[in-house]
Amino acid sequence: MSLSRRTKAVAAVAGAAAIALLATGCSAGDSSSSGGSGDKVELTVTTFGTMGYDDLYAQYEADHPNITIKPTNIDTGDNAKTDWQTKAAAGAGLPDVQAVEEGWLSAVMQVSDQFTDLKDYGADEIKDRWVDWKLAQATDKDGRIIGYGSDIGPEGLCYNRTAFEAAGLPTDREEVATLFGGDDATWDKYFEVGQQYKAATGKAFYDQSGFLWNAMVNQQPEGYYTKDGELNVEGNKDLEKLWTTLSSATESGLSANQTAWDWGKGKAFTDQTFATFVCPGWMLGVVKGQVTAAGGDASTGWDFANVFPGGAANWGGSFLTVPTQSKHPKEAAELAAYLTDAKSQATAFGVAGTFPSVTAAQTDPAVTGTNELSTFFNDAPIGEILAQRADGVVAQYKGPDDSVIQSQVFGPAIQQIDSGKADGAAAWDNALELLNQLVVNK
Amino acid sequence: MTATLTPPTSSDTTPHEPYRPKQRTPFAYWRSRFDVKASPYLYIAPFFVLFGLVGLFPLVYTFVVSLNEWNLLSGPAGFVGLDNYVAELTDPFFWNSLFNTVSIFLLSAIPQLVGAVLIAAVLDQNIRAKTFWRMSVLIPYVVTPVAVTLIFSSAFDEKYGLINNVLQTLSIDPVMWKTETLPSHLAIASMVNWRWTGYNALILLAAMQAVPRDIYESAALDGAGPVRRFFSMTLPSIRPTMIFVVITATVGGLQIFTEPKLFNPTTATPGGPQRQYQTTVLYLWDLAFNRQNFGKASAVAWLLFLIIVLFGVLNFLISRRIASVESRFIAKKAIKKGKRS
Repeated sequence: MSLSRRTKAVAAVAGAAAIALLATGCSAGDSSSSGGSGDKVELTVTTFGTMGYDDLYAQYEADHPNITIKPTNIDTGDNAKTDWQTKAAAGAGLPDVQAVEEGWLSAVMQVSDQFTDLKDYGADEIKDRWVDWKLAQATDKDGRIIGYGSDIGPEGLCYNRTAFEAAGLPTDREEVATLFGGDDATWDKYFEVGQQYKAATGKAFYDQSGFLWNAMVNQQPEGYYTKDGELNVEGNKDLEKLWTTLSSATESGLSANQTAWDWGKGKAFTDQTFATFVCPGWMLGVVKGQVTAAGGDASTGWDFANVFPGGAANWGGSFLTVPTQSKHPKEAAELAAYLTDAKSQATAFGVAGTFPSVTAAQTDPAVTGTNELSTFFNDAPIGEILAQRADGVVAQYKGPDDSVIQSQVFGPAIQQIDSGKADGAAAWDNALELLNQLVVNK
Repeated sequence: MTATLTPPTSSDTTPHEPYRPKQRTPFAYWRSRFDVKASPYLYIAPFFVLFGLVGLFPLVYTFVVSLNEWNLLSGPAGFVGLDNYVAELTDPFFWNSLFNTVSIFLLSAIPQLVGAVLIAAVLDQNIRAKTFWRMSVLIPYVVTPVAVTLIFSSAFDEKYGLINNVLQTLSIDPVMWKTETLPSHLAIASMVNWRWTGYNALILLAAMQAVPRDIYESAALDGAGPVRRFFSMTLPSIRPTMIFVVITATVGGLQIFTEPKLFNPTTATPGGPQRQYQTTVLYLWDLAFNRQNFGKASAVAWLLFLIIVLFGVLNFLISRRIASVESRFIAKKAIKKGKRS
């Protein structure tokens, strides 16, 4: 409620803050004053979530005595987006190296001229290290490379062995992959298995419809926008057909109508509320975190299968960029290149489960071997599976309002079908109405 | 403000003052004049300079932004006059946010004031360990709203929350606290009440203690019971303080943000999947930072500012009216008392 009931107290605090600002003014200025190349350089880096860079920073500082790294890690990608937007709008305060998530890359691309073209600092020499679609995502419409890819999010299928066993379905991860159709897995097949599961157990098959819809849209050659940047939702027969498939499955009770990113503080993962889950590489760490938070462990039965309905799909992943606000673009670009090279990405995967976007790192023993995460998933060869799931992913054009459409246009529609407040057709109409209000006539 | 000293002028010096050797030097004269005239303003200047810097300037700048088509990232894209205001005043989401704000405000302000008055009345009695009780009611206010929201948000969880679990063990249908309008408003109002009731109770308690005890004594002697004394004497006496509490609660209630923002932080649309509890400040935050429409967000900020000013003026008019009633009431009392003695 009321935030400023005592103006006097506020004024006193503000006064103190103003004095403190004056007192520290000089020291804040120091970091930005740059000198020759031999001088000490302090590089600020802003990352989010778990990117596994801490050891790499220390290594880089040891190798480059004139460089000091000042890292800031923000808890979630969304908060990092708000942080970036605020500082970009203010025109000051951005770090030398800014991590950008794929989800808000389209917003970044709107103002790609606020980012350094890394081709000026040797991007051309190293651009072959990445899978080609990752490089394409980081290239703006003028052909400037504004980011070095860090991780990618190829999607596989997490499933609960115990739940599958109870329904009389196979539990071995290769048999499960075959069950869903192997390389030819389709959404229809996925929902068909879901109906079998539901018939045998009476329980839901997936946590909520949002992640499935996200994957379905991302798999299309063109999503909410055409390749030319035209909005393409109303009258898009492909999307409408997918929506019908998803909503009829949901209406038949396959969705557990869970709150995404909450899941009852992880409890839904341990009480078999649902049996399958959409798993990009970085999500494996999330699943483990949720299960652990609710008191579960490896014996809770989660496993990871080398299959995904509808073919290869990618969700998320990040880039390291150098905003033009940086006073040391050369040093910043070098640091970004180091943090995204094969060795660094393999190291980061071991720490944070972020699957490398650099081809050489994907076959690194540190990625393909066993680690803590693979032990949790019943010794599944996570690195190997993800490398195969990354095969065939294409970079889809994301328009400026892509994230608004995903969250504010289809988010409410998803909630309507999940909670049974509207049927698929009505929810689709509602989504179009929201689209007109939020995006078309904004 | 007027200066209390008038500087001596030559016409003031009367001829029969031979001991004055010379006029004061112009410098000393001006210094003293400056000191008298300007110093008070200098003393209060820091507040106004800061207010200008962090209050007035943003206010004016926001207005300038609101007159432009302005993307948060790419900046201004042309002057549009009052178009943003017109667009917002016809936007159903703006009115939805206003409805939610007022609804949550009413659901929180009314029970909160009733509760605060009752608690204050109890604390005003001769009870043991007064300080302990008085400090205890303030504890919720000390806890940061983020922590309060996290705890309440967990308790109000639809599938795994404490409250719905209890309801289900009593064979009552679970309430959809986070996806239906009225339940979500009640849940958010309960957080606000939990936090502010004790604070308001302490302010009202201070007002109650300022009521002269001898009036109570004479009323008791005249045969007025505790309930009668509370309604006929305590309540009218604390009316000015009540007005203060109502005004601060109004201003705060119309700006509510933290509670709805963090009530269900994972939802795709801030303020509930169908904007069931998206308050106006949350709506403007969403406009600026998710939809990047800085111009419209600024227009909403100004509309909200005007609405709060409107509420403030209304409150002021009502309070002035009540205050005049108040003075008449006290004057009458004094006359009566005079007659009696």
